[in-house]
Amino acid sequence: MKRYSQTTGEVGESSDLSPWKTADALDLVYVGYGLLIVVLVLVSYVLGAFTWLPYDPEQIRVDLLNAPPGSAGHLLGTDFLGRDILSRLIVGIQAYFLPGLLAIVISLLLGTTLGALAGYRSGEVETLVTYFNNLVDSFPRLVLILLVIAAFKPGIYYIMVVVGVTGVPAVASLIAGKIEFLAQKNFIEAAHVLGLPSRVILLKHILWHHCMPLLVIQATIGMGEAILIETSLSYLGFGVQEPTPSWGNMVQAGANYFFQGKFWPSTAPALSILFTILGFHLLGDGLNGILEGSAGK
Amino acid sequence: MGAPLLEIENLRTYFHSRSKRAFIRAVDGVTMVIARGETLSVVGESGSGKSVTALSIMGLLDAGPGVISGKITFRTDGGERNLLHDLEHYVTLGEQDGRIMEVSKDEAGWRKQVERIMAEVRGKEIAMIFQNPKSALNPFVTVGHQITEAIRLHTPTKHPREAKERSLYWLERVKMDSPRLRFDNYPYGLSGGMCQRAMIAMALSSEPALLIADEPTTGLDATIQSTIVGLLAELKSELGIATLLISHDIRVVSRLADDVAVMYGGTVVEYGPAPEILGARFGLKHPYTAALLASRPSAQNVEEKGGLPAIEGEVPDPIDVPRGCRFYARCNRVTEDIRDACARHEPALKELTPGHHVRCWLYGD
Amino acid sequence: MVHSSSGPEIGAPPATGAREPGIFRGAAPAFPAGTVKLAATKPITLVLARELALAALLLVGVSFVVFVILYLSPGDPFSVLLEGQISNHAARAGLREALGVPRTWYVQYLSWLGNLLQGNFGTSIRTGLPVFGEIARVALSTLYLTLGSMLVTLLIAVPIALHSSVRGTTALNWLLTMLAYVVSALPVFWLGYVAVYVIIHQFGVFPLTARIAASSERTWPFSLLPIFVLGIGNGTVSEVVRHLREEMSRVMGEDYIRTARAKGASVWRHAFKEGLLIPMTEIIASKIPFILGGAVIVEQVFNWPGMGRMAWQAAQDRDFPVIMGIAMIAATLVRLGSLLQRVVYVAVNPRASNERRGAAWAE
Repeated sequence: MKRYSQTTGEVGESSDLSPWKTADALDLVYVGYGLLIVVLVLVSYVLGAFTWLPYDPEQIRVDLLNAPPGSAGHLLGTDFLGRDILSRLIVGIQAYFLPGLLAIVISLLLGTTLGALAGYRSGEVETLVTYFNNLVDSFPRLVLILLVIAAFKPGIYYIMVVVGVTGVPAVASLIAGKIEFLAQKNFIEAAHVLGLPSRVILLKHILWHHCMPLLVIQATIGMGEAILIETSLSYLGFGVQEPTPSWGNMVQAGANYFFQGKFWPSTAPALSILFTILGFHLLGDGLNGILEGSAGK
Repeated sequence: MGAPLLEIENLRTYFHSRSKRAFIRAVDGVTMVIARGETLSVVGESGSGKSVTALSIMGLLDAGPGVISGKITFRTDGGERNLLHDLEHYVTLGEQDGRIMEVSKDEAGWRKQVERIMAEVRGKEIAMIFQNPKSALNPFVTVGHQITEAIRLHTPTKHPREAKERSLYWLERVKMDSPRLRFDNYPYGLSGGMCQRAMIAMALSSEPALLIADEPTTGLDATIQSTIVGLLAELKSELGIATLLISHDIRVVSRLADDVAVMYGGTVVEYGPAPEILGARFGLKHPYTAALLASRPSAQNVEEKGGLPAIEGEVPDPIDVPRGCRFYARCNRVTEDIRDACARHEPALKELTPGHHVRCWLYGD
Repeated sequence: MVHSSSGPEIGAPPATGAREPGIFRGAAPAFPAGTVKLAATKPITLVLARELALAALLLVGVSFVVFVILYLSPGDPFSVLLEGQISNHAARAGLREALGVPRTWYVQYLSWLGNLLQGNFGTSIRTGLPVFGEIARVALSTLYLTLGSMLVTLLIAVPIALHSSVRGTTALNWLLTMLAYVVSALPVFWLGYVAVYVIIHQFGVFPLTARIAASSERTWPFSLLPIFVLGIGNGTVSEVVRHLREEMSRVMGEDYIRTARAKGASVWRHAFKEGLLIPMTEIIASKIPFILGGAVIVEQVFNWPGMGRMAWQAAQDRDFPVIMGIAMIAATLVRLGSLLQRVVYVAVNPRASNERRGAAWAE
């Protein structure tokens, strides 16, 4: 049973409600959850950066091995070496947060530039950009990163540069598509005719009003992917090394204990990865849903 | 003449704008009648609700809430059916000040019901053709195959070869050149006019009782439009099929229609026999109809008035429906003694001369 | 005027950005009456030849990127690579003279590329064996994993996507979609652990031996586990569901589907090609890089002897020839997948052979 109703009062051309009011309840929940995760990550990052932690993440307590969550003041229990899991999880965020931001910044900046070029000046420039996009897309990310690791044995920031570059095609085609769409609808032509000054200002117009929300959504996707890559790499042994915790190497370290039935040391970081990536994805999806809701009256 | 073939009574089709939290009253109480073998043409500007009416008949609307009230009686040799049978069981309306402000509808249930009712009707007893024929045909399938599909679905001819012969017969009937060649063409290889001919062939091949043509000439080149209209006129006299023709183009209407219904703002403001509606007696017309006819581009018009007389004002907003007569804001024939009525109360349809109804305070009460 | 209540403005690209191919891009002019049909379609072979050429050009670009990465890395690994290639070449041709390694970068690049094209990938630093042979030995295992996982992904994603685009959002498919999401966000290595745990405790066998024993009947089901894990992990399922649902919903709104409904015809039969077949091949082709990346991890978890595991080992040992070879082969597989997708598209779409494509390389 679907229920529709009309508001009493004026309706007509300019009576649009703000997109937040008319959004699907579900999308709002997604955005809410996503924002919660973002806040948690930010807070944890700060806590970790200043080492304001409940316990020393590397301190081994032989008497408290594999303590379940809630025991003896350890909110999330301890791992197979008696180390506090919560503290380790918090510190683990250091491994991906800033590097992830770097990757996002690179993807967005480069991607927007290329996308704007391609969208604005079709023809050869567009062909070139499309070629570049397809080129970058030809590599499986992880394989490319392994290649770079083999070649340079670089730190996580350099790896994130690679991640950022591999994220460029998605952003570029998004921006180019949007510009093409706007051009098709003669928005751009109209603005020119209206005497809007130089193309630079025009770009600000397009980019800010139309592309910003898309870019925000891409940023959330980008963070999710950065987390995935960093945790995968540290799982494979290429990132942060023991005893410094990273969510990836925590899962890996707990492997043998997992097979013996002691699930928690591997599962706690896995769940953290889950909830965090889910948070970013849902944030992006929710924002997307709210946007589309307001675009399609 | 007997009982009419299709009788629409008080049809209401609403949509809903989430962002404005208001109803889009696309079709707001429409009544019309199509007699057997006759062509009823529905005329109006874009947004007047004419296409939505046609889609409501066929049950092709997906957006919510959709059809919310009305009765559509379809009389064929097989009997009489209400195409909106049991609608009341699926919809509850809430009114305020004589205006619908709330709708509760079991959309999933109604959709199933419509499929049940229309399964035997669509394509077989009522066929529909659309505007933009190139995009209305499946681009992945040859034109011929699309026609044979209709034949095999709705006629006793099931065998592919026989169905192909039948398709070719119909392609010839719609004056398609080189039918055998065109049969194997894809829609992209055909011009707009040819695609429309193919669609007409597809629609008529199952020999339906009623053909609904939704702006069949819109989107075609001007010269092609004329030939398609000619084709429809010929087929009409050859086959004697009843047609619901929707168009905003009065020239098309005047060549094909037996009866005309003029729609404005989601309601029928005038209907009757074509000669009367389209004829020159402006004194006996709805002001909107009069204005429409007067704004037709013609040499005479331009000479006499020095330009094309346009109707002042804007097309009515289906969301912000005025209280009184919907045409009041643009009407140039309001007199002082009816002004109050025009502004406050919507007039009812009144029979001026036999068969000719007008919704206007100038002629009523 | 009649829109379905969800969905952006007509003509707007989906906000998540993929440029819809759409069959009406680069509209071909309508043919005047009387044009003979035969002139309208270019032979499929011509179209395919062009696709092949594009793929080749991209692979050349890939090779250049790989070259640059290796060339710039410290310790001059490139010379090591070339030496390996040369000794291969020499060994094969039976030559005895010590051939010097070229000095200038473009000659290095060209000779390296030339060797590549002859199948000479150099020698592994770790094992001393020709790289190509090494990779070929394990490539099949990875292909087995990859193809199997694609099947799993489709088997799960297609029903969910179809159900939700046909029936709209019901509680059931919201649940399923959420489930797909959650599983996608779970790290694939942890999923692998769960799977391994299941094997150990159900069957008492540690998967280390599973693959080696996989040829024998009794242990064949064990290979299904990494396939399953790769199929559901890594986010592929939710992306496929999303893409398929978007495309199917878009097609459902097309004019010709409305005509099919008005005609009383089977909507499914009309919507299938553009709504399911093409999007399916599109999304799978575009996911190949991700699946290959996921294979690296899954092979690690299950100790599966495939290219992924070899790549990991090579990265650990800084075994450039091996990792380079795997990178090249992986890129080739990606482009192959893309090519196959274009083949399907051209085969299904009668306009494709005639389309004047806008951006010539657009995927």
